[in-house]
Amino acid sequence: MGGPHVSLALAAPRARARRTATPGQITLALGIAAFLALFLVWPAATVIYVAFTERGGGAFTLVNFVDFFRTDLFLRSFWNSFYVSAMAVAGASILALPLAYITSRFAFRGTVLIQTLGFLPLIMPPFVGAVAMQLFFGRNGSANLLLDDWFGFKIAFMEGLNGVIFVQSIHYFPFILINLSAALRNIDGAMEEAAQNLGSSGFRLFRRIVFPLAMPGYIAGASLVFVKVFDDLATPLLLNVKDMLAPQAYLRVTSIGIADPMGYVISVVLIVASVAAMALSALATRGIDYSTVQRGGGGLARRRLRPYESALAYLTVALILLLVLAPHVGLLLLSFSTVWSFSPLPDGYTTAHYARIFGDSSLYIKNTLIYASMAGLIDVVLGTAIAYLVLRTRLIGRDALDWAASAALAVPGIVLGIGYLRAFYGVKLWDGTPLAALWIVIVLALAIRRLPYALRACYAALQQISVSLEEAAENLGATKLRTVRRIVTPLMMGGILAGFVTSFATAAVELSATLMLVQSNSDAPLAYGLYVLMQSAAGRGPGAALGVIAVVLVAVCTILSHAVIERGRAMPPAGH
Amino acid sequence: MSNRSTAANHAPAARVRIEQVDLSYGDNHVLKSINLEIRPGEFFAFLGPSGCGKTTLLRLIAGFNHADSGRVLVGEKDISGLPPWKRDIGMVFQSYALWPHMTVARNVAFGLEEKRVPRAEIGPRVAAALDLVGLTGLDQRRPAQLSGGQQQRVALARTIAVEPKLLLLDEPLSNLDAKLRVQVRRELRELQQRLGLTTIFVTHDQEEANTVCDRIAVMNHGVIQQVGTPKDLYEQPANLFVANFLGTANIIEGRLAGDGASRAFEVAGGPKIPIAADRNVAPGARMVFRPQDCTILAAGEFSAPDRTAAAGTVTYREFLGASVRYGVRTGSAEIAVDCPFHAGDTLHEVGTAVTIAIATSAVRFLSD
Amino acid sequence: MHRLLMLSLCAALVSTVALAQAPTGKVTVITSFAKDVTDPVKKAFEAAAPGVTLEVQNRNTNAGVKYLEETKANNQVDLFWASAPDAFEVLKGKGLLQKYAPKASGIPEKIGQFPINDPAGFYFGFAASGYGIMWNERYAKANKLPDPKEWQDLAKPVYYDHVSIAAPSRSGTTHLTIEAVLQGEGWAKGWGTVKAMAGNFRNITERSFGVPEAVNSGQVGYGIVIDFFAFSAQASGFPVKFIYPTVTTIVPANVGIVANAPNKAAAEAFVEFLLSPAGQQVLFEPGIRRLPVNPDIYAKAPADYPNPFKDPRLNSMIKFDVAKSEARNDVVDVLFDQLISFQLEPLKAATKAIHEADAALAKKDNAQARALVAQARELIAAMPVDEATASAKETTAAFTGGKQKGARQAELEQQWAAFAKQHYAQAQAKAEEALKLAK
Repeated sequence: MGGPHVSLALAAPRARARRTATPGQITLALGIAAFLALFLVWPAATVIYVAFTERGGGAFTLVNFVDFFRTDLFLRSFWNSFYVSAMAVAGASILALPLAYITSRFAFRGTVLIQTLGFLPLIMPPFVGAVAMQLFFGRNGSANLLLDDWFGFKIAFMEGLNGVIFVQSIHYFPFILINLSAALRNIDGAMEEAAQNLGSSGFRLFRRIVFPLAMPGYIAGASLVFVKVFDDLATPLLLNVKDMLAPQAYLRVTSIGIADPMGYVISVVLIVASVAAMALSALATRGIDYSTVQRGGGGLARRRLRPYESALAYLTVALILLLVLAPHVGLLLLSFSTVWSFSPLPDGYTTAHYARIFGDSSLYIKNTLIYASMAGLIDVVLGTAIAYLVLRTRLIGRDALDWAASAALAVPGIVLGIGYLRAFYGVKLWDGTPLAALWIVIVLALAIRRLPYALRACYAALQQISVSLEEAAENLGATKLRTVRRIVTPLMMGGILAGFVTSFATAAVELSATLMLVQSNSDAPLAYGLYVLMQSAAGRGPGAALGVIAVVLVAVCTILSHAVIERGRAMPPAGH
Repeated sequence: MSNRSTAANHAPAARVRIEQVDLSYGDNHVLKSINLEIRPGEFFAFLGPSGCGKTTLLRLIAGFNHADSGRVLVGEKDISGLPPWKRDIGMVFQSYALWPHMTVARNVAFGLEEKRVPRAEIGPRVAAALDLVGLTGLDQRRPAQLSGGQQQRVALARTIAVEPKLLLLDEPLSNLDAKLRVQVRRELRELQQRLGLTTIFVTHDQEEANTVCDRIAVMNHGVIQQVGTPKDLYEQPANLFVANFLGTANIIEGRLAGDGASRAFEVAGGPKIPIAADRNVAPGARMVFRPQDCTILAAGEFSAPDRTAAAGTVTYREFLGASVRYGVRTGSAEIAVDCPFHAGDTLHEVGTAVTIAIATSAVRFLSD
Repeated sequence: MHRLLMLSLCAALVSTVALAQAPTGKVTVITSFAKDVTDPVKKAFEAAAPGVTLEVQNRNTNAGVKYLEETKANNQVDLFWASAPDAFEVLKGKGLLQKYAPKASGIPEKIGQFPINDPAGFYFGFAASGYGIMWNERYAKANKLPDPKEWQDLAKPVYYDHVSIAAPSRSGTTHLTIEAVLQGEGWAKGWGTVKAMAGNFRNITERSFGVPEAVNSGQVGYGIVIDFFAFSAQASGFPVKFIYPTVTTIVPANVGIVANAPNKAAAEAFVEFLLSPAGQQVLFEPGIRRLPVNPDIYAKAPADYPNPFKDPRLNSMIKFDVAKSEARNDVVDVLFDQLISFQLEPLKAATKAIHEADAALAKKDNAQARALVAQARELIAAMPVDEATASAKETTAAFTGGKQKGARQAELEQQWAAFAKQHYAQAQAKAEEALKLAK
């Protein structure tokens, strides 16, 4: 696919950071710092400081962290989270590797389709997605009912930690697919040919040359999967797995532990662990980032497949897509089904659910489009600005901006949601409406939550632009600002658009932060509509219908953006 | 590259035959009926402007491109159907294609490992190959830590370490600076001689081809224009393209006048070159001669009988050190004239009237 | 000070206006009810009170309480509308509700043993719900399981791994179910019943609706739920059944006016509407299926609609002590989480071992083994705290984040969890020993 190149690898030392800062750059940096402080650091801090206060006194203490390490449940949760995240990375790799390999190495019909479909699992609306998964893979889902019927056994796809690993692998494997595909595409074809010339071929060639060269992309994707799974609470909770860290934080913060510091202690642990994972991946890719196309080479040559190879490739792709798109297929079936209970397929079919949500959904759709696109826009503007500051200036503390923005990934949505209420509810507008009651606050929360995705995409895009192109513009009399506008931004457009798509698509189905911040039905996005519908038996079908609409909507936007990206890519490359 | 080591023990050099090779990408006919024979141990160049098909032909020999028809033989073996990894042909890439995730030693060892050379042999052979290119001691470096010239040598060492039957060099000097280029090409020639390895060298730089190669195939638009030694090509270009591509040539339009003994090539308002009766001149051919085959006569000097004189005006002057190049307009033609320069000589000023004399026997009449 | 003055001025202004004319404008309600419930009510209410729009904010009960707390400084919400009476007790305790005296007539004082309205006048019951067991008929048939009648039935070996429940800390209604069992059977015996059932739990969901959803789709056979989940599922065509066990309670679902409501007049109008015959009748909608609190309305009920005012079974149900429930609310929830939710695996392992030993004993009796199994059961039933301690200030204070020093929540939780883990492991060991003896 046009490849939202999303990765976590943080700023490695840059070879060509030159120039000193101009006043404009300093102002920009301060502006971004203020934005992040106001909408990320401060709200999160209003919630998290509790972790460091003593009971009854409010004095600073670390005893709560001692409690954390003394409590079996929390330690068990920590290890479970770690184990599940690591295994989900493995599972996601197994799904992503063949797809990335086949689509980037062979002349393969349907590459664009596969890469677009491969993006879909990221767009799984909350609640209904899990219901659809259960109907297919649950203990009495279609797969198991048929297995039991035919062979007399069942497979525990969705049980306990293994269930979480299974679902998370399917849900987040696109992150690896996207990054790995981009990395594979960026390998100089001569690298591969040189190895073939020296007698290497087939899987050995892949293992010894191609994969190591794509490693930075793989690590970027894998670390993103790790962090997302580590911080995700929705999937474990929907599978009724509670002894993991994120669910523990959520359960405490939203029920009896609300006044207790432990929920916030866990949030701190989550943030620290996520940032550590990001730092580790930055460290691991340091010095091995050779992702840009080198002189003289195009991308990897795409080999034509022999008929039997082609059949094998199609079979592999079909199997994987069938698996990862099963939730969407289930969702579609569910949206058309009358009753679906303890049977491989629904009892009957109807279009009534679509008719029922027709009226409501237009409002939800409108809100979702507005919120998600505004959030995506804020993200790419901030992402481009931060990437520019980090890669092209020597401002002191520019890396801190990068880290702060990336850390947003690790702040649980619920913490941010409560933080926004605490921080902005007291701020009143001229007519007495609290600031937090305005829908723009939802947009800001979504923007902050999705900023890391867009930032990485913009960062990667800017990294691949030679500084000399900007120098040429400045040499011809363009100011820095005009250079950015006329040279840098157009060249980055593909990356910026990729960042926008990722931010937009994932924001469109985000629930955790919005749930806390939605103040009225007329301001509610799709995810909230789903939540409301999925509280009753009669709401299941309409909820699924709304979910289908959400997926189609986001997918259409994604495909459109890809078309634009691909068209941009089709322009003749500069130089050779 | 170092003289300290002895050449590795290579198989006898191979002959390469390319027979009737055609290759198209859609409507784009990239190679047209290519026929070539490269002799064992020869240092052979494919020379031509970019887009002429020279790299395509080289990659076809390596197995990265596939001919629509025709075949390639190395030794007596038809390799057309073999994948690249079974061809036993070494190739040095323009970008060197050193794998950044491996050290120099691992890069060089790679081919040996892929060919399942016994582990114990690999170390010494890597060391020998590095020694051959004068890089002993850098084996633990990463490619990114090497200079351009060093990277080039690693690429070469990596290729010759596997003792290929044939060595292909794809613009190996293009990424080096001018001074280094001269040094490296000399070393390349020396190494090739020492190994006695049949070598094909792709370049767009005639000077490179002339200085290192035994024979050159000049290519344009997917067609081999001429094959020959550098001297042959320079002296007896087969067509206008070759004449123009190798060195500087005056290529002048005119028309054939008269016949029999009075046959001549007339440049409107300019020189009139007599043509020997036995010479074949195709209709529409142009007159071609090198700038040094023409002189400016000193005042009062008369043209010799084997020369054709013409009056003209100096339009430009370039001082080159060993010689001075003048542009002289005569009739419809502007002719470049190289005059040797000796200390104390006075130069002709732009705008002055002069008489030029063209060595009649050096003039050739060529078509496209 | 300034803000307070402004607020009271505003409030005064609003109430004067309210007295002068019919309510208008936007009235905001926070509710845990699904769209299927709120939509018909909204439609009927807006028809009955032209000029008023009902603005529905959907949050689960706990999040709603939390939200009101976080935003009380600048409250924008008029009404709180949810099932669990204890959530209203919490709000009342924090001063987040305001008093009102509904004018509606025809609603009796009590339903079963439960007062319909808050005696202090802060919240009002508008519909009744009872707790019971819901099951999927296809699932039961496929697994050849009998229909349960009482809570204790769910503790039987046949139901092992077939039962689901929502965590009481996450679901106000489930909390009431557990509390009803504890009040009906007493603290020690009640927990014994709960834990014996819990040994058969397939899972413990995080949302109330997670249980009916799992039963509806057939992923789990049996669920412990509030009645309307089953009724509305039946109305949607799902193959599910429902039964009220003897020890249960009928409690009202409530509505209350939030303190400093911005549109108090409209809020009062909404309360009056819910309690009026028109409002009561909306409850019969297939998507709602709740029991009206006005006995006269049942005349218009669909066929086979349960009537708590007539059904002797429902009338004989236990008396529910709201004050007692409220006092130990957090402790019961945390006990359930620490002893059951987070220890489900060891608990199930021990339960399974006991089931196996029982089965072996049924074939070949052995007195010593029987004693061991009894000990294992006692070990599982054992509680780290007794009833008095559970309601004691020292214990409850740990969960309110109070300003005074005392035991930290995490400390107590770790103690209780360790207690449970150790007891379950011992129980499992004893049951396995018994199995060996019985073989």
